[in-house]
Amino acid sequence: MVNYYVRRTARVFVTIYLVASLTFGLVRLLPGGPFTLLRAQLLRQGVPADEVDARIANLQNIRPDAPLWRQYIDYMGALFQGNLGESISLGEPVVSVLASAAPWTIFVVLVSTILVFVVGIFLGSLQAYWEGSRFDQLVTGVSISLMSVPFYVVAVIALYIFAYQFGWLPTAGTVANGVERELGVPFVVSALKHSVLPILSYTLGAAGGQALAMRGNSIQVLGNDYVQVARLRGLSDRRIATRYVARNAILPMYTGFLLLLGFRLGGTVILEQIFSYTGLGYYMISALNANDYPLMMGTFLVITVALVLGVYVADLTYSKIDPRISAGESDEAY
Amino acid sequence: MDATDPIIEMRNARVTYDDGETFVLDDVSMAVERNEVVGVVGESGSGKSMFASAMLDAIPDPGRLSGEILYHKDDGTTIDVLELSPEELRKFRWEEVAMVFQGAMSSFNPTMKVGGHFEETLKAHDADVIEGMARAEELLADLYLDPERVLDSYPHELSGGMQQRALIALSLVLEPNVLVMDEPTAALDLLMQRSILMLLQELQEKYDLTMVFITHDLPLVAALADRMAVMYAFDLIEVAPRDQLIGDSGHPYTRALLNSTPNLDAPLEEMRAIEGQSPAPINVPSGCSYAPRCPLATEECREVDPEFYETGVGHSTACHHWERARETIDLNFEAVEDDAVGADTEDHA
Ligand SMILES: Nc1ncnc2c1ncn2[C@@H]1O[C@H](COP(=O)(O)OP(=O)(O)OP(=O)(O)O)[C@@H](O)[C@H]1O
Ligand code: SF4
Ligand SMILES: [Mg+2]
Repeated sequence: MVNYYVRRTARVFVTIYLVASLTFGLVRLLPGGPFTLLRAQLLRQGVPADEVDARIANLQNIRPDAPLWRQYIDYMGALFQGNLGESISLGEPVVSVLASAAPWTIFVVLVSTILVFVVGIFLGSLQAYWEGSRFDQLVTGVSISLMSVPFYVVAVIALYIFAYQFGWLPTAGTVANGVERELGVPFVVSALKHSVLPILSYTLGAAGGQALAMRGNSIQVLGNDYVQVARLRGLSDRRIATRYVARNAILPMYTGFLLLLGFRLGGTVILEQIFSYTGLGYYMISALNANDYPLMMGTFLVITVALVLGVYVADLTYSKIDPRISAGESDEAY
Repeated sequence: MDATDPIIEMRNARVTYDDGETFVLDDVSMAVERNEVVGVVGESGSGKSMFASAMLDAIPDPGRLSGEILYHKDDGTTIDVLELSPEELRKFRWEEVAMVFQGAMSSFNPTMKVGGHFEETLKAHDADVIEGMARAEELLADLYLDPERVLDSYPHELSGGMQQRALIALSLVLEPNVLVMDEPTAALDLLMQRSILMLLQELQEKYDLTMVFITHDLPLVAALADRMAVMYAFDLIEVAPRDQLIGDSGHPYTRALLNSTPNLDAPLEEMRAIEGQSPAPINVPSGCSYAPRCPLATEECREVDPEFYETGVGHSTACHHWERARETIDLNFEAVEDDAVGADTEDHA
């Protein structure tokens, strides 16, 4: 048992270590190298070669003249201390850029993913309860249509209608320009207004998918003997609905929730671009456009680590939540 | 039938799944005596589960049950189960008549401990939980289970036989008068089947239970039952005291069933499959439903559905030619002495 947790935890560290090494490889070894361009630029501007090397070393914690293994150790050592280098385009430490961007992304992803599940579970169980009714057919139809439209299409349409046409909601950013960046009513209101459209468009289609999943799970659970036996035992409808049907139908969706949380973090790269929402995904793309490799690697690293942690937490907690799975059984499940 | 002190009387019970086009329980009447053990046998699909569920008005949706299910309470009053309000029915089930399902393995909520099932059942019926749990522990001990361990386990942590016994204990936790069991041992190995049967016998005596035991395994229930009933094509075709039914049945189908049964003293090679197939609900023939397979079938059989004939003490047989059946269809285990040599040449399956 202990062994299992140790193995799992070790795996997280190994994965993160490998991802970090990968970013080093990309930074240092890609043909053409990310800093070649910058180096050429600086040299053209008449900066002495020594100074150019020093500046690049500062940017990514790599001294181009040192042997490869030395560079690697320096880079990983700096990473380990939380130093992700300096953003070329913003002239700020990558860590501070990420620190200011991450909360927005986490907010949008967390809220929308929770909404996805809450709405999905709610609709799905009602559908199962009234299986075959008009309501069921309607929700199924809407769910399938929504699922077949990618979220960025929904995002663009929502942006066009609610922000540009009606002007009800802001078109870009995380908070309005004039608002003080400190916790207070105007700040929260402005932040919420700016997040409505990103959250909405990131929720709709996925919620349809979860509603269908919940519907299927519930119908399957309803068909089980133990539900019929529970009715015969004279349990109340409410207890059967919650303790029997809902619980057994929701359980299998729990790991999906944590995994989805991780994957949807990656999806913000597109989402935040559409709404010019300055979160992780937004900076990742702007870093890409600006050839800002340190920032790009930083965002990449953070998103990957979040995904790995999502899987890790899902793994460790699922056995606690579903008594049928004892830790270790689900070992190679994903 | 010679009903003296019946506890459940089923009258003209019919179950339909297509608004009366066809019946999967076709006009069944039967009385269950207080404190007796009735064994109901029949092949797969003959309507045994329908018969069992009908006693608690628990036909799976969207089936519809009609007729009368009379329940005679201990205090002498009689209720018609089909007339109860939903709340009265909820109370009736499990307090008066409990049921153990086909497939105990899936009768427990997989994400709830076994003990939780006992507790919620007691609470749902406003019973004293502490007293009830004490009774649960006694029942589990009666069934040779370790009460503490079982109550604190999740269903999947118990073996099939343990789950089965835990389910029997759960069915008795409210001290019902009648226990209806639908193939309670079908998924278990032979040894476990026997031991559960013995446990049931002990429980029946200890708690003065009336039991309706449903199975396709005739010898199994013959060990336990006082009276036996045979189902064929959604209807009862013969009801008799156990020894009477086994030794002197009057229905060709029962006799064929006995002959197809391996271990009633008969050597395995005596086993004779019944030829032909039992009818589906849509094409139950008019007249006697067994006529297409019956060696004694006559024109009369095909035209007139046989009513129950009185064919012995407490013995009813739905066959026009029950006397001829007794004369012409030999039972294997009677014939063993003079026919044993010939039997040896048959296939050792
Ligand atoms: N939900 C349903 N809808 C329609 N017909 C059904 C339904 N459930 C059962 N039946 C039919 O009712 C008939 C009797 O079924 P029942 O379950 O009582 O058989 P059984 O004797 O218990 O068989 P087994 O030994 O296999 O359990 C079968 O022919 C079956 O096809
Ligand atoms: S009534 Fe006729 S067909 Fe039916 S079992 Fe008797 S002899 Fe056979
Ligand atoms: Mg059955």
